Amino acid sequence: MTTVHARSRIAWKISGALAAAGALAALSAPVAAAPDAASAEALARQNNCFKCHSVSKKKDGPSFSETAAKYKGKPEAEARLVTHLTTGEKAKFPDGHEEEHKIIKAKDEAEVKNLVNWILAQ
Amino acid sequence: MNGAPPDGKRGLLRRGWGALRKPSARYSLLTVLIVGFLAGIIFWGGFHTGLEATNTLAFCTGCHEMRDNVFQEYKQTVHYSNRTGVRAYCSDCHVPREWGGKMIRKAQASMEVWGKLTGAIDTKEKFEANRMTMASHEWKRMKASDSQECRNCHGFDAMSSQAQKQSIYKKHMAAKAEGKTCIDCHKGIAHNLPKEYKDPDE
Repeated sequence: MTTVHARSRIAWKISGALAAAGALAALSAPVAAAPDAASAEALARQNNCFKCHSVSKKKDGPSFSETAAKYKGKPEAEARLVTHLTTGEKAKFPDGHEEEHKIIKAKDEAEVKNLVNWILAQ
Repeated sequence: MNGAPPDGKRGLLRRGWGALRKPSARYSLLTVLIVGFLAGIIFWGGFHTGLEATNTLAFCTGCHEMRDNVFQEYKQTVHYSNRTGVRAYCSDCHVPREWGGKMIRKAQASMEVWGKLTGAIDTKEKFEANRMTMASHEWKRMKASDSQECRNCHGFDAMSSQAQKQSIYKKHMAAKAEGKTCIDCHKGIAHNLPKEYKDPDE
């Protein structure tokens, strides 16, 4: 039979372990691996994204920093942007007219997700 | 005669010059000319056929340096496969159609033969290390000719405002007004951009 003293030490150890596990989970869960900037930029360049979007200036399309600010903290951001890039949905231009957004050419969805996450980090 | 060899037989040059001045005792000058003319046509035809054979896809992709790298990339693009089934082959973009330019390019291609023999880009790593250099050469050549090879098929004046997306048509007309050339914006249209390349618009 453990003493009161021993039981409270065990309790402290368990809660300490739980706290550490919780901290680890909190740190690793929401933040996915940082986007590969080089391959995101390369994909954007190859698809001519920079012809209409700049990282910081507004051109025909919003700047990537503007998009990142718009979607900051929103959990559905990644899925929303992947849809935008892969389905040719209508996009509004500064002069008011609408056009189908270009459908991105990428090896796989992971490449598109990497680009989207890089945009959201601008 | 001065300079004649001791055994009296005339030298090669002297005999050659004599043959040019008095070609044949048997055949008339007209015959000789006509035969020469026809032989010239056959020679020229053969030369041209051989030259055009070096412009075919099969010839270009005969080297693995091209087949395994830029050919694979080009196969993913609109110049390889598109709605209208019009395909641009290697030579359509990389070899001038005009005779003078074509001959110059073919003469320069001897450096490519040398590169093949010395294995300059014979591995993926060497190819990627040299991609920016090779791309820059082509961009420079195309810029100097005002994207002649593009304009062999494409033209601002032939673009339809109905068939092109509005924003794209506007960009093309603005480029025409600014005196821009195709390659200014359309780098990477058929092959992957080098990783060192940065779009000036970024």
